[in-house]
Amino acid sequence: MPIGGFVISIDPSMEKPILKNLERFGDIEIHGTDDSGNIVAVIDTATSDEMEKLVKTLSRMDGILTVGLTYFNAEDEIEKIEAGEFVPKISFGKKNN
Amino acid sequence: MGLSRREFIKRTAALSAASYVGMHLPFSLEGKARAADADRWVRGSCRLCGVGCRVDLGIKNGKAVALRGVPESRTNLGYVCMKGMLFYKILGHPERLTKPLYRSTKTDKFKEISWDQALDIAAKQFADSVRKHGSDSVAYYGSGQALTEETYLFQKIMRGGLQTNNVEGNPRLCMASAVGGYLTSFGADEPIGGYADIDQASCFFIIGSNMAEAHPVVFRRVMKRKLDNPNAVKIINVDPRISPTSRIADMHLQFKPGTDLAILNAMAYVILEEKLYDEEFISNYSTFRQSKKVEVDFDTYRKFISDYSPENAAETCGGNITADNIRQAARWFAKSNGTVSMWTMGINQRKRGVWANNLIHNLHILTGQLLKPGADSLSLTGQPNACGGVREGGGLCHILPGHRLVKKEKLRNQVELAWGIPKGRIPPKPGYHTMAMFSAINAGKIKAIWVHCTSPAQSLPNADLYRKGMKREDVFIVTTDIFPTKTTELANLVLPTAFHFEKTGVYGCTERRSQITPKAVDPPAGARPEVWIVREWALRLARELNDPVIKKCVEPFIGKEESFDLPKAIWDEYSQKLTKGRDNDLRGATYDVLMKMADGVQWPAPTEEFALTGGTVKKFVRGMDPMADSEARDDKPYQFYGPAHPDRKLWIWLRPQQGPAETPDAEYPFYLSTGRIIDHWHTTSMTGRIPELMRANPYAFVEINPKDAAKLGIKPGDMVEVKSRRGTNVLPAKIYEGPIQGMVFVYWHDMFEDRMINRVTKDAYDPGSKEPEFKICACRIRKVSGPKPLKPYIVS
Ligand code: SF4
Repeated sequence: MPIGGFVISIDPSMEKPILKNLERFGDIEIHGTDDSGNIVAVIDTATSDEMEKLVKTLSRMDGILTVGLTYFNAEDEIEKIEAGEFVPKISFGKKNN
Repeated sequence: MGLSRREFIKRTAALSAASYVGMHLPFSLEGKARAADADRWVRGSCRLCGVGCRVDLGIKNGKAVALRGVPESRTNLGYVCMKGMLFYKILGHPERLTKPLYRSTKTDKFKEISWDQALDIAAKQFADSVRKHGSDSVAYYGSGQALTEETYLFQKIMRGGLQTNNVEGNPRLCMASAVGGYLTSFGADEPIGGYADIDQASCFFIIGSNMAEAHPVVFRRVMKRKLDNPNAVKIINVDPRISPTSRIADMHLQFKPGTDLAILNAMAYVILEEKLYDEEFISNYSTFRQSKKVEVDFDTYRKFISDYSPENAAETCGGNITADNIRQAARWFAKSNGTVSMWTMGINQRKRGVWANNLIHNLHILTGQLLKPGADSLSLTGQPNACGGVREGGGLCHILPGHRLVKKEKLRNQVELAWGIPKGRIPPKPGYHTMAMFSAINAGKIKAIWVHCTSPAQSLPNADLYRKGMKREDVFIVTTDIFPTKTTELANLVLPTAFHFEKTGVYGCTERRSQITPKAVDPPAGARPEVWIVREWALRLARELNDPVIKKCVEPFIGKEESFDLPKAIWDEYSQKLTKGRDNDLRGATYDVLMKMADGVQWPAPTEEFALTGGTVKKFVRGMDPMADSEARDDKPYQFYGPAHPDRKLWIWLRPQQGPAETPDAEYPFYLSTGRIIDHWHTTSMTGRIPELMRANPYAFVEINPKDAAKLGIKPGDMVEVKSRRGTNVLPAKIYEGPIQGMVFVYWHDMFEDRMINRVTKDAYDPGSKEPEFKICACRIRKVSGPKPLKPYIVS
């Protein structure tokens, strides 16, 4: 269960509706905002795959300009992969096609 | 109440992000420090593109578990992109190569062998080839992802040991035209300024680059500059394709592929017509050139440029180009307090890539938008060490370490002296450039080649043609890599190597900045650092060929411990002996200094004391660049001491519009262009193995303009054949208002044969830089079926 620290840059005039939109995502914790359009957020998803998808979705939302990562921890996921509990869905064989 | 471990990590994440924007959160972790997130952090560079972002890798129980940006780093100011965040997973990937693999014939199956056997075989094959067919029957083909120490040592053995200049690398496919442009316009390779200019620029001229996807952290910096100054800062994006980069542009110039030289000349026309040029700067520091030997005057240039009125250019360029928007772009460019141009492969991978580079530099010289804060002509590199390792370390067939030309005897002798090998040992003739090298393989002239950390079987244009040669049984191919690739499929000997952070070495990024990445974790058992591999191979070669000079080439490195001492000894030799007095003087950038710096050192940096300040932010500026002072010939503030311009001037070139080698016709009516997508990098042998990245963009697709799609009855997801005179792909369609009408665009990361676009691209190349024209060729498209389920493909 990876955890990422992000600075989300937004159009400051759209702060309210954006925050409202972000609230819809259970995996996002908002830790603070400022007048220059910065939102400090922590994203905690079941897999890094989901985090990546979520970041893409956020990047496309109206008023969001960039989603910048600053910190990423995937310790739990790595433990799971090593213990064989988390198997990546994609296998990389030449017989795939 | 105590925090749970997860809660602790979350707070760490929040505090890290908050600290970037100076935000105070209602909690802190003071007094709660514990190794919840990592036992230790090791500072190095991200390896996945040329931006050179600095990261700390978090290690717990000997494994990489976390990554964070380094806020004090001037390259990335602490930000990292998603691709960079995930690369650490490669470190422990179950499909890593860990055993040397060998087969005597390419139709056999590989069998595992020991390192001793592998090195013996590699030495014997190269020695046999040299004995039977001469020195030029062997070759090295390296990479802009290899560490500088690796490239330097490989080329030392090839030139000083085996006496061939057949030393090339994949930067020929991406950066060679930028090198040619810098050398011919400024007299010296690599940019004058760097990323710091972004924070002070008032105009950005982004041409032939989708930097939002290819260089996301630099793009973030540009975007921040724009957002902080929405009206004062203008962004001009020049590209035949609307891309995510266009999102922040004030003006997007969309044109017929291959006509951008006309746009650049037309901007120069406006600059002359409206007297927007800097007369004093031009007369003090520049000359006009028709060719290397023919200097002309301003009036001749004026006359030449008179053919490129904005009205004429608009007609040539098509798309949305109007005379008015060319005029506006020229005014913004010339009048701003500081203009930064940035470009990548859209300019470089062209039949006239060097000329296109020259014409961008022309605009900067004419307007004096150079050398001052916020102004630069900044070519962005695609790979993390194309500049440091290959351009500076002697990784191309015509250059020796320290920006020395092979063909100059005096410079060869300097290298021979530094290496302690006999004078005349390095052959005077440059080796084969990349396309000539693989043509020589096709012709059976090269009998043994070492391919390091790259996959030419996938990345060369018109790939089928060159794969034929690589399949020849009389060509022995050694590869060093971390994963199987399309090229290991054609190899005889596959050697497993340590990955980034599993070994130590230096990368030099876009802005002349050298940064060290020390070993943080052990490689998988069986994988070894390349510098160890090359040293051991060279010692065997010396025995095989009974040649003490080959041994001499590695003598200073014998017995050194492989993860730090060995690369350090190689770096010491290179930086102290080979860069001394050269324009990329790195003597101050010792391992000691590099380990101390958050973000490395920008050359020239002749002393440790100066290197500890960060080095040279602006080349050629007295007071900022120590060589501008030590090499000064007069008391002017700018001193152009680069090795290629004896007149010490900037050259404004008369370069006409010239189109691509192949343009659409009745049979192949579309332009085809190719490029990179944010989640993938080059041939996916690394990123393709990270499930997050593969799921986001599992396979390549062809982008088609909606109007063309409607005409041809192609719907989203339909399978579409993309056919050129060289090869065919079948890819799913993405109907997208991205490419201009009449052009299709394909990403080039897919390894599946039917979607490997370099089977379709053309292998014409720039006559100066020898860089192939990947970016433009003619093709035809047709729907072959409705949507089909596809799976991603990676060589295993
Ligand atoms: S921008 Fe490039 S160097 Fe920076 S984190 Fe992303 S991939 Fe790595």
